[in-house]
Amino acid sequence: MKKNLFLSLFAVMFLAAGSTQAAVDAAKAEAFVKNVTTEGIEQIINANVSQQVKDERFAKLFNQALDLDFIGQFVLGRNWRTATPEQRKAFIKVYRELNIKTWSQRFDEFKGKNFIFAGTTPSNSKNQIFVNSTVPMDQGEPAKVVWRVKQTADGFKIVDIIIENVSLAITARNEYSSFIKNNPGGVDALIKDLQAKVNQPVAKK
Amino acid sequence: MLKKILTSSALAAIMLLTASCATNPSETSEFDQFDRFETFNRAMFKFNYQFDKYLAKPVAKGYRAITTPFIRERINNAISNLLEPMSAVNQVLQGEFKQSGVTVGRFAVNSTLGLVGTFDVAGAWGWKKEISGFDSTLAKWCVPDGPYIVLPLLGPSTPRAAFSLAVDAYMQPIYWAARNDANTRDKILWASSALVYVAVREGTLDLTDDLERNSVDYYATMRTAYLQNRAKKNTCINSDAGNVNYDFDFGIEEDE
Repeated sequence: MKKNLFLSLFAVMFLAAGSTQAAVDAAKAEAFVKNVTTEGIEQIINANVSQQVKDERFAKLFNQALDLDFIGQFVLGRNWRTATPEQRKAFIKVYRELNIKTWSQRFDEFKGKNFIFAGTTPSNSKNQIFVNSTVPMDQGEPAKVVWRVKQTADGFKIVDIIIENVSLAITARNEYSSFIKNNPGGVDALIKDLQAKVNQPVAKK
Repeated sequence: MLKKILTSSALAAIMLLTASCATNPSETSEFDQFDRFETFNRAMFKFNYQFDKYLAKPVAKGYRAITTPFIRERINNAISNLLEPMSAVNQVLQGEFKQSGVTVGRFAVNSTLGLVGTFDVAGAWGWKKEISGFDSTLAKWCVPDGPYIVLPLLGPSTPRAAFSLAVDAYMQPIYWAARNDANTRDKILWASSALVYVAVREGTLDLTDDLERNSVDYYATMRTAYLQNRAKKNTCINSDAGNVNYDFDFGIEEDE
């Protein structure tokens, strides 16, 4: 009984200490994500400009807000270490293109919707924090969107987006490592397949 | 007997799409270690994919074409309403007595004032819906999940989730209402299972199309999405809540 009391006291102290030592400024991280989503909605989704201008703006915002070099390395996982510099470069390039393409389509789904921010959660990873948000849907429960934000020398960067418990980065990492494992062509075959995905026509809506 | 279980399982299966829970797969980001039966699973996935491509998906699209969002919402509400008794029982098993009371109240109000559950009147009063199947009860009791398995027609699962499906099937009002006459019971169960299958498939059309279009290994994508979701919904008292299951060291590849 006494032991439990001590344990819980200890836990409380530990938690309190942890939160005061947080390296990342939670309010600023949240403000950063808020800015990115507001800019996306106002300047892109709701803007009265051609699709081409929208695509350009989206690519710019995406490249600014996300650290795709970092995400790409993580996504390639253990295969990153064995990849040649050319493979690494080609992979990051095609991964960036594919993400810009898929996310500009997905982003369209947010037309008429908005993000409601719900504070932050600390991360065990250095200089990182989770920014929590929800998106009210036309039907049913609101969708849960969590942003993993990293503080870099160059300001805040988004390094993962977790939608309804499913992480973009972990999903891609598992998918690609599975592909490489099952494919004799390895990383080169992956790059080729991803390039084919980039080249395929945009799905009609 | 088996047929009975399978039929009603199909009905309850839907629940697992929304109410599944899991023991903690891992703090790492690799999920393929849970796929001991990958060869079998890939074959079953392929079979399900063909079934979906030529039957389930076209039917779901047809259903979307002949209904309006308003009608679909009514149907989804009615389906969800029939899961409330199951939720109430499981909430008691999980010690959530207060929520169980709310669930019973929701079922009573929505089945009557809500016109057989098509309108969520109780929800508008602030009586919060919480769907809970036997799988979330087992998760709370810290029963291990077992390896990843792909079930025929029902898709991604685990032994615990599959077992829970059969248990949930016995908690469906439709099953009890029809239990006295074997002949009509089978018809009712098959028809309702088929309707639920189509309604759920319709709800996931856009999502699965998006995932498939952007995947180089669709099987692996579905597997990791399913397992991530289960890991996160785990409520076992021994595991950590929160963001922990994707809070691995994200910078590990950085300094080599």
